[in-house]
Amino acid sequence: MAATTMPLTSSTGLGGSSNSSRKSSEFENETLPCRTAPNLCGCVACRGGSNRGSKDTALLSLAAFNLRDRDITSKSDPMAVVYAKKIDGKLDELGRTEVVLNSLNPTWIEKVTVAFQFEIMQPFVFHVYDIDTKYYNVPVKTLKLEDQDFLGEATCVLSEIVTKQSRSLTLNLHGKSGHTGLRNLGVLTIHAEELVASRSAVEITLRCSYLDNKDLFSKSDPFLRVSRIVESGGSIPICKTEVVNNNLNPTWKPLCLSMQQFGSKDNPLIIECFDFNSSGNHVLIGKLQKSVADLEKLHKGRSGANLILTSHHGHEKILKGQLFVDQFCEKEQYSFLDYISSGFELNFMVAIDFTASNGNPRNPDSLHYIDPSGRLNSYQKAIIDVGEVIQFYDSDKRFPAWGFGGRTSDGTISHCFNLNGNAGGFEVEGVEGIMTAYASALHNVALAGPTLFGQVINTAAQTAGQSLSYNSNKYFVLLIITDGVLTDLQETKDALVKASDLPLSILIVGVGGADFGQMEVLDADNGQRLESSTGRVATHDIVQFVSMRDVHGGRISVVQALLEELPGQFLTYMRRRDIKPRPLHVAQTSG
Amino acid sequence: MFSTASRTLEITVISGEDIRNKRKPVKKNVFAVIRTDSQPLCRTETDKDGGSYPYWNEKHNVDIPVHARFITVEVQCKTSVGDKTLGMATIPVSDFVGGFVPQSYLHFLSYRLRDSNGERNGIINVSVKAKVPEYAASSCSSATTIGVPFGKTSCYGGVVPGVPVGVPIMKQYYQG
Repeated sequence: MAATTMPLTSSTGLGGSSNSSRKSSEFENETLPCRTAPNLCGCVACRGGSNRGSKDTALLSLAAFNLRDRDITSKSDPMAVVYAKKIDGKLDELGRTEVVLNSLNPTWIEKVTVAFQFEIMQPFVFHVYDIDTKYYNVPVKTLKLEDQDFLGEATCVLSEIVTKQSRSLTLNLHGKSGHTGLRNLGVLTIHAEELVASRSAVEITLRCSYLDNKDLFSKSDPFLRVSRIVESGGSIPICKTEVVNNNLNPTWKPLCLSMQQFGSKDNPLIIECFDFNSSGNHVLIGKLQKSVADLEKLHKGRSGANLILTSHHGHEKILKGQLFVDQFCEKEQYSFLDYISSGFELNFMVAIDFTASNGNPRNPDSLHYIDPSGRLNSYQKAIIDVGEVIQFYDSDKRFPAWGFGGRTSDGTISHCFNLNGNAGGFEVEGVEGIMTAYASALHNVALAGPTLFGQVINTAAQTAGQSLSYNSNKYFVLLIITDGVLTDLQETKDALVKASDLPLSILIVGVGGADFGQMEVLDADNGQRLESSTGRVATHDIVQFVSMRDVHGGRISVVQALLEELPGQFLTYMRRRDIKPRPLHVAQTSG
Repeated sequence: MFSTASRTLEITVISGEDIRNKRKPVKKNVFAVIRTDSQPLCRTETDKDGGSYPYWNEKHNVDIPVHARFITVEVQCKTSVGDKTLGMATIPVSDFVGGFVPQSYLHFLSYRLRDSNGERNGIINVSVKAKVPEYAASSCSSATTIGVPFGKTSCYGGVVPGVPVGVPIMKQYYQG
């Protein structure tokens, strides 16, 4: 767990405009703030805020029922311990409840805090112990668990809990792994609630006037950086604006600050105005200190606040330049979990590359070689890794599965055929169903070519588009696994641009040793929006590419890198359309 | 014969990105005009302070002829010597009508603008929603009644020859 929490914190938290949110907060290390933000529109949703949504933290409450009685004269005195199971199988303790005295049906009050990470499986193990009377005055944290009576254990992954509309999951307790036994050890109920300080956020449009000129031959290129003053005295940058070129009276695009970023409305913020320099040595034009409440006052009074520049001698000089707040609005921002637990779903779809460049599947060095020893090839690994994370968000677990670039049994080359070989339907049951369909397709389909994604993307887009007539709570995720270089890049771009306004994200996994340079183009992380041959531009980035090779052996799994942006893309779609999570009571009655 | 039939669109001209005038970022006073068949449908206010990233977010209800295949967006700039067109984009109607999505789906669309020489010049962001009239939801036959009254006299001469001769109802019309 410890190893995997790192990418989350680095990619959330800080980050103002969606473009800069990926970068570290210290601009000295990065190339530049966004000049051409890939934000489609002025609408609040896609402009501001951290694109990853909020950092979701869940509080686990535990209760048990019908525990075994280990005490002779009285009932058990149970305590529960929560562990995260790491990839190597080791358990990492996350927290303990208090000890409930003399009860076989305890409801523990002490909650355990866990960080929710969409992009990884988060298996948890729960142990319940009967605490011996002689330890009553010992703090629970210091209790030696091996001295206590073991009452049972249970296992689940966090997504299983948060996708339940009740956010509760009840598990049978069983003995320590290995000996299950027939005895009934009772049940454990885990309830997860999201720990959200507040969903509120403010959107502000800032403008400056009469800024000092710092450039020799032209005017300053100003941008703003907002930092929050923390209790220890320092400050943490929370967001920054884009650069407005050659302008001493700039108006920046609206900034969206979440409560998590600015703390409270009275927490002082430092707003610094810099002159952008491509060398990275941005020159401070001036700064001021205002809380969110102060900014609201400036907006109401339509008044400006003067920037200040501190000289080398510590002398504060009040500048002519002023900061204005042209727009100030408070709003609510829902998190990914808010949507998921109110019944929104991710629908998983898969497309597999059957082009000849993979090599003959009977040959052990083929990328499609199915090892009789059970070792998974790259395709199988990608299906399992991505599938097992996403399946929890798909209630019927019926996954469309296609192949492309293969010669099917009727002798024609198809760029989108049903993986199960069934002409009637492309859906298969569960991740296991994908694996079976994949293996059988390798027998029935001859590898051919060329490599074209267009048809697969169009079919997925059609599925996503048609679902809108029945539901607005489904979001589709297409996983394309490929070994190669696209035969027609523009064809793929056209299909992607056309699909970019649908509830659809596309994950591409590259396997094998080919040059995947063009895939990076499709994944518009460089800020260049995809453009179709007819001049339409992608509404927003829906593609995420990762090569098995690049992350192989690294600490971040392929899947994690691949799935990291998915909650953000989901939120971009929902917020742009102002689709809100359904109120919980409605969701509960319908579910 | 349905040339006068039209469909209503709710177009929101949201914003422009990186709009340039002779390769230099525009300072101010950018507005957008939407046309179909060179007929202006609507124009936005002039954006005073957005510079080369104008932001309008203006919603307009416009009617376009049913046969129209394209609408165009022109981004113009007010200058001392009059309005100057900086860039234009052609939006196929098929981008927001038809397809697999529900008829009244709100489409967020972006297009590359090109100047009169065909050079790339910024991006225009719009949203388009086709207003679904009640009759379209109920049946298609009632839709035709919208078109017929207009075309009654002028069109029949052109249309009838294609229709099997000898249908009594047609005869009635001729006599009448």
